[in-house]
Amino acid sequence: MQPYQEEYIANMKEIAGLTARKKAGNLTFEAFESEYLQSREQLELKIKRNMKLLRDQLFPALDHLLETTPEILKELQDFAGKLLHGQSTTDSGLFCLIHQALLNLARLTKDKNSIIRELYWLGIGRHNQCNKVMGLEFALIENYISAMRLCFMESAAYLKYYDEIEDLETRGYILRSRANISLGQFKNPSEKIRLVKQTLQILQDKDYQEKAPELPWDRYIYMTHQQMAASISYSKTAPMTPEDIADVMESVYLIYQRRLQEALLKNEMPPIRPAFNYYAIEYYCGLSNLQELLSKIEHLMDSADLFDFSTDNMYALISLPAFYCQFLQQYPERIPERKEYIASLYQRILDYMDAFPETSENDTLFFYLRQLAHTFVETENSISYGDFLRKIMMRFTPETYVHSYMVGNAAAVFSQIIISEEPNYFDDMAHIKTIQDLKEKQQIISDYAMKCGLYHDVGKLSFIDLYSQTARQWLEEEYELAQLHTIAGESFLDTRPSTHSYADAALGHHSWYDGSHGYPDTYKRLEHPNRQMVDIIGLMDWMENVTGIRRLYTGVEKTYDEAVEEAVALEGRRFSPLLTTRLRDREVAEQIRQALADGQREAYHQLYLEEKHSMKKEHS
Amino acid sequence: MESNKQKVSNGYLVTEQDSTGQTRILYADNGACMITGFDLDTLLAADPTQVINHLPAVQVTLDSNHVLWVLNTESHTDSEANHIPEPDNTELLRQNAVLEAALLEAEETNKAKSRFLSNMSHDIRTPMNAIVGMASIGLSHIDEKSRVQDCLNKIRTASSHLMSLVNDVLDMSRIDSDRMTLSEEEFSLADLIHDISVIVRPQAAQKNQNLQIDIGMIHEECLLGDPLRLRQILVNIIGNAVKYTQAGGEIQVRFAQKSAPDFKSEQLVSPSAQHSETADKVWLDFQCEDNGMGMSPEFLQRIFVPFERVQNAATSKIEGTGLGMSIVKNLVDRMQGEIIVKSEEGVGSCFSVELPFTIAPQNQKPLALPHGASILIADSRTAQAEQMAAYLQDGGLIPIHMESGMKAVTWLTEAQYENHMPCALLLGQDLTDMPVLDLAAHIRQLAGREFPILLVSEEDWTQLEYRATKAGVNAFVPCPLFKSKLLTTLSELTYSGHNSDDTYTNRNRDLGGYRLLLVEDIELNQEIVVELLSVTGIQVEVADNGADAVNKFLNSPEGYYDLIFMDIQMPVMNGYEATKQIRKLNRADAANVWIVAMTANAFVEDIRLAREAGMNEHISKPVDPDCLQEILYRQLT
Repeated sequence: MQPYQEEYIANMKEIAGLTARKKAGNLTFEAFESEYLQSREQLELKIKRNMKLLRDQLFPALDHLLETTPEILKELQDFAGKLLHGQSTTDSGLFCLIHQALLNLARLTKDKNSIIRELYWLGIGRHNQCNKVMGLEFALIENYISAMRLCFMESAAYLKYYDEIEDLETRGYILRSRANISLGQFKNPSEKIRLVKQTLQILQDKDYQEKAPELPWDRYIYMTHQQMAASISYSKTAPMTPEDIADVMESVYLIYQRRLQEALLKNEMPPIRPAFNYYAIEYYCGLSNLQELLSKIEHLMDSADLFDFSTDNMYALISLPAFYCQFLQQYPERIPERKEYIASLYQRILDYMDAFPETSENDTLFFYLRQLAHTFVETENSISYGDFLRKIMMRFTPETYVHSYMVGNAAAVFSQIIISEEPNYFDDMAHIKTIQDLKEKQQIISDYAMKCGLYHDVGKLSFIDLYSQTARQWLEEEYELAQLHTIAGESFLDTRPSTHSYADAALGHHSWYDGSHGYPDTYKRLEHPNRQMVDIIGLMDWMENVTGIRRLYTGVEKTYDEAVEEAVALEGRRFSPLLTTRLRDREVAEQIRQALADGQREAYHQLYLEEKHSMKKEHS
Repeated sequence: MESNKQKVSNGYLVTEQDSTGQTRILYADNGACMITGFDLDTLLAADPTQVINHLPAVQVTLDSNHVLWVLNTESHTDSEANHIPEPDNTELLRQNAVLEAALLEAEETNKAKSRFLSNMSHDIRTPMNAIVGMASIGLSHIDEKSRVQDCLNKIRTASSHLMSLVNDVLDMSRIDSDRMTLSEEEFSLADLIHDISVIVRPQAAQKNQNLQIDIGMIHEECLLGDPLRLRQILVNIIGNAVKYTQAGGEIQVRFAQKSAPDFKSEQLVSPSAQHSETADKVWLDFQCEDNGMGMSPEFLQRIFVPFERVQNAATSKIEGTGLGMSIVKNLVDRMQGEIIVKSEEGVGSCFSVELPFTIAPQNQKPLALPHGASILIADSRTAQAEQMAAYLQDGGLIPIHMESGMKAVTWLTEAQYENHMPCALLLGQDLTDMPVLDLAAHIRQLAGREFPILLVSEEDWTQLEYRATKAGVNAFVPCPLFKSKLLTTLSELTYSGHNSDDTYTNRNRDLGGYRLLLVEDIELNQEIVVELLSVTGIQVEVADNGADAVNKFLNSPEGYYDLIFMDIQMPVMNGYEATKQIRKLNRADAANVWIVAMTANAFVEDIRLAREAGMNEHISKPVDPDCLQEILYRQLT
């Protein structure tokens, strides 16, 4: 690799460390806070340096790919390889950008082998993006899935010319692309199963195998069976046909048997994931009923070890409960008898999270927890959904938590200023209108503002690497992707009773007051009785974004005074004039500045306490 | 006079007593005029007691308010026979019956008009209430821009509804007074149907209705006739179907043509007679079927009577004047066509219209298409794909159809590998596996910048334009699909490179370098138009009347003004005269500068006069911002 590439990779690793949560250890709160603030400063320097490296070195190189040497191309491929490494995501945006450029070059030079290879890698990059948006409504993310699938499909289309393609590696790319066509969500599970089945037929075809015996056929086939087995999760969205179930069943049995034999040979416990698939397919075939399935899942979850941090055990402790809760969501009549069990289940998960060491498996842990957040079943016995989300934010994206807390605190202060001048300001909300006592009203509004702020960015949990781990400014495509955090946030909050009232703040905080710009389109300001609060959250969020750490990702950078001036200039368009009028008052602007600063300090303090609490749990 | 009186035996008068007890003459025949010696107007204005009291007359009470007076001429003119003769009872009874019928008819008309006035006052009051209410809300939230914007949008909607009410009434009045004239101009049936589709689709979409517009056999797309009135007929019928069909309902619209001989043979007319008369004619066959609330047999009898509305329309708060169908019937009759309505209450209605049109003279150049080349259609809607394929085959192309994006990309990859790329990709409305624009974006990469990608869609292009062009779509063909549109667009793309110079792609260009002269005498109107134009960046200069406009044009350098918007009715000099004078000026730009008439008098005559004066086109007031911008971008970019 070239020196700038090495430096960029090194910076990325440092940035991952700088954005990670800080251990409290024996630190005082002041030292703990200082560590965070120093990290922020270093982060800023690193990101600026990375931007310079990309602007001065990478982008000119991509612009002149046609005149470049094979060595430089190879270095670019190696560099891209470091940007997306297995499970551990580092910089999939840059990965896609480089492979898109290499694909364009291959198309221009009509180099078939390179076209096939680059299509495959671009498909892999897109697959990584699809994983980020998993859990959102299909219509919202369909374009990401199509972009991935079309790359794999074009590459796989060369299967027809398999014999004419001499390069063995390229043949491998064609087959892998063929297998990957079925990755990601489908409108219809049968379509996915049909594609996996076709792939299996191709891979098991002796004719293909004999022409490239060096390829890892057994691995290809096994992984394709895994894909087929994973299709079982689609049964939740649409009913499967008996033929589909039979196809899935075959793969599930095959994988279960193989993993069981491997475990026996190593004298280990039978693996949990294939066991779950095995039980689930029995249920879908009618060989067991829901009660039996739930009992079997409970048994698998209970047999997991709280001190085993392997992937399989993590699956049993976190991912399996996500599936378990999904069944309960489908059949809510099964919940009352399990309230206590569910409460203990979540408690165990949180304890496990606290005790989890800082390792490379952190990404998987987060992935499973996010999966659990999507299927969370809220009962009066268990931790509230809001607290659960808050804990995940504090653990995996502390800077987002700090930002959210600052926004909440500033919104609470601002709403107090407003309500003292205009007691009926928030009376569009029916439950506020009925409150006669001003003090009570002030308290309720203040709490509500704080919570709206705290949860407004919870959708960022779906895009954690964009918001907390990106080592540079966003690319245009990433900016579009990041916008989905509003819809993701709403989908997290809207369906649970404890967080339902904050969903509008998550959805609408990036919309413009006059509706002319902003996102998402689905937020129609005038239809929401709590729009006055959403307006406040939107303004406070913007002020903190352009003055805080997030300015590094968007490139919009202002001092606090400039931000106030800009907000006033955007009066009536981006921001409510009822708010900007007050912001004109220097005293009010100063109070907001102080509220943001106080919020930041309080948020770090809470992180500190949480870390201390985790430490205790870890030791016990 | 005398001799006339001699010839008249009887005269008849009907008097009417109103609620205050005042009596007036409601009706008088010629006989009454002759006997009394007054003309009709004087007689109707006269005090009945003064007229009748000194005349021998027989009084017949018709009802509590109306009395028939039979005046006898003999007694008045012949002093010798100073008695009231025995009336001829048979004749009297016959005339009495005629009068009674006339009275009943007059009363029915009166009742219908009263009903209409009552409906109208309700219908006018409803949008007026919205306008007044929204204006008040807007004023009370003047600081909240989005709230005010919302109010203004609602005011605009209510105003345009009000405008359509007024237009209906004006049309009906024009029909009643026989002032309705039809124009005879060339128009494209394809454009007209697309325009209609753009108007009615959003209305149907709002009610979540399935509105399907099918195009059958079309022999001639370029016709001569009155497109404005044809559009009025079609929009009225489809609009009614949307109005009177429940949310989620089905509306099926079909267009087809019968060539005149086909049609006439069905009518069993002799072949020799038909040929000379119908060789240049074609019949447009239109049908609109819905599964809405339908009509009772009783209402069906009166559907074309002015001011009549379905009974439960009022209760279900469906807006309307009850004039639409009457206007439609009149227009169809004037176009020498036929309209048939079938309906069953609770089941639905079916309107069938047949209209004759003259075929416009053919002056199109033959299309340059890559005959024998393959073309890929990607569309999951089988019927639409089949139609596209049939049209392409007619154009000498070989269509290949794929229903999914995955299959399309596989086929194109293979075609590229084997060096037999199709001449273009036609993207339909839907694919089985992905959004069409996602496929377009990938194909643009796969096939390169030069490969033509056409989007065939029933969606409004203005809504799609940004995303589609970003995805790499070169051109748009609107649905309902017409062969000429499809093949012309394809021909432009495949033979003359990618034509980016179409109106769809030129919007949003800054017109800062252009200058427009607005000729308008009313200050408020000046303000509105200047405001509407401000978004385009065009420089606007204002003239207060025609004479001022001529002076401004005369004193400007050649080519100074790129466009003139000219009001018609103005003091000092009207728009027609001003245009004539500008056109007469001896300078190069006088003949070419594009002059657009702006007038509220959107009659055929006004349009003709505007053209005769030298104006290039015509827009009606109140000015539609989109229409204004469309002219600007079309003429200037």
